[in-house]
Amino acid sequence: MPRHRQKHNMACFQRESPALKEILLRLYRAEKPMELDHHLYEFGSVEYHVQASASIPDNTYLSIATPLLYQDVVLSSGLPRYTLEMVKGISPDVIEIIEPPKEGYKLTLRLKYSRIPRNKGGVKMIASISSVQGVILSSQLKDMLMNVNSLEVSQGMYRPVKLIYHPREPFFVIKQPEKITAVFPMRFKEDTDVIIATAFFQELMDIGSSKAFVKAPHCIWSPIPPAELRGEPIEDLSTNGGFVSFDITGRHVEGKRLDKTVWNLLNFYAFVKYHVKSTRGFIQRRMRTRLESLVEVLYNAGIKDEHHIKKKNRGPKGVRKLLNFSKSKLLKKRYNFINKIKRIRSRIKIHWFSRFRKRWLNFSRFSSLTRYEKLN
Amino acid sequence: MLRLYLTCIRNTLEAAMCLQNFPCQEVERHNKPEVELKTSPELLLNSVVICRNEAEKCLIETSINSLRISLKVKQADELENILTKKFLRFLSMRAEAFQVLRRKPVQGYDISFLITNYHCEEMQKQRLIDFIVQFMEDIDKEISELKLSVNTRGRLVATEFLKQFI
Repeated sequence: MPRHRQKHNMACFQRESPALKEILLRLYRAEKPMELDHHLYEFGSVEYHVQASASIPDNTYLSIATPLLYQDVVLSSGLPRYTLEMVKGISPDVIEIIEPPKEGYKLTLRLKYSRIPRNKGGVKMIASISSVQGVILSSQLKDMLMNVNSLEVSQGMYRPVKLIYHPREPFFVIKQPEKITAVFPMRFKEDTDVIIATAFFQELMDIGSSKAFVKAPHCIWSPIPPAELRGEPIEDLSTNGGFVSFDITGRHVEGKRLDKTVWNLLNFYAFVKYHVKSTRGFIQRRMRTRLESLVEVLYNAGIKDEHHIKKKNRGPKGVRKLLNFSKSKLLKKRYNFINKIKRIRSRIKIHWFSRFRKRWLNFSRFSSLTRYEKLN
Repeated sequence: MLRLYLTCIRNTLEAAMCLQNFPCQEVERHNKPEVELKTSPELLLNSVVICRNEAEKCLIETSINSLRISLKVKQADELENILTKKFLRFLSMRAEAFQVLRRKPVQGYDISFLITNYHCEEMQKQRLIDFIVQFMEDIDKEISELKLSVNTRGRLVATEFLKQFI
């Protein structure tokens, strides 16, 4: 991925489901239409069902079952109209919404593969279709944020709405005049994570209140629940990392900013957890590097001592040369010499080598004192 | 203020590091650091506590054949607290690389060293003392740098996050 894109996507995690994308791409790239019936499970609560028929290639069905952001609202008539419009808007030519959806699923789509272009644009389209779960969830929050400037006053306007994007990590959205406040109760497993995250939230507050970021949503961190959440169940308000609040105004939901704002809010928890994990890894790497430099100081305390003594008690040059010839060096020299002899007397026969050997490598026979030689 | 503190520790160590080999009086053919056992009071010298302030202090316990130095490092806030704990625990777990470092610090302190007569024979006394003093300086410096790095990282990440909204 190009570097500028990496930077742009830093706060945004991948929207498309990697497993679903792989299956849809496999169907897209197949030379012949293929039979497929595949169930996928993600995050413990999201289920995909992909069905493709070899006989009718344009009848590929994708069914999705996902918990919605709104847990309190009972949707008897399926997904809201706005959500269905957003899903259809991913690729109007390719996607057809099947009513009613398959049993056990919230949404069933028919994908017309024949209408997907056979170029890079086709791959992009498949990636967009794979992000359908993100589109469904973000559409609900978009619907809420788009009405931020509405002057409509309804009963329970200030009642916090509990939304769940990640399991066991709910956050609250509170509608107020001319703004919407998103409140994130932060929970961490370890005390170290709490302290690192708290330092991050304080930096977030400092930066958010600076002149350069006047246009960014106003950010507040507090160790106690904000006043707007009074009356909520105690299990939702018991945290060890405090509460982070963002004030979203009309400016943050204009045009293309709406999609970015929604995606950033939905992934705030994941962003913080990723930052904490990276910081811990950074601290660990730094400690390892420092360990080496600390140990070196101690080893110098021992090694320099040996050099110092050696320098003082050196002795005459000739003796030093002899002393340099340690036992191991002598053994090594003897071993190398023996190996040389063995190589010369090797049993591996090379055809032309025997003539060479007879002529140049003749070992003379030594007379032995024990052998008797007859004198003529 | 730090210089005075370190000079005081250095002078105390120079006086205390007069160690000699002394076999165990209780078990035959055993040679144990007496400062750890503390079974024979006649072999132990008076321990010395050098305090820089309430949060920083150094305990030096001496015996005939061994010396134990325990350090309490300053921790101004929670972040320094966890960084110090993590770093010193990391070093203690790798005590064999340091030879003179104790795997577990003495209670009430953050890190401990155990120097025996054998260490004094293998290494120069002056260099050992230099190592201890240098270690104290390096730990302080390293914790401060780590804290600064963590805060800088947090700031950079927060900047990038808020930029997405502009």
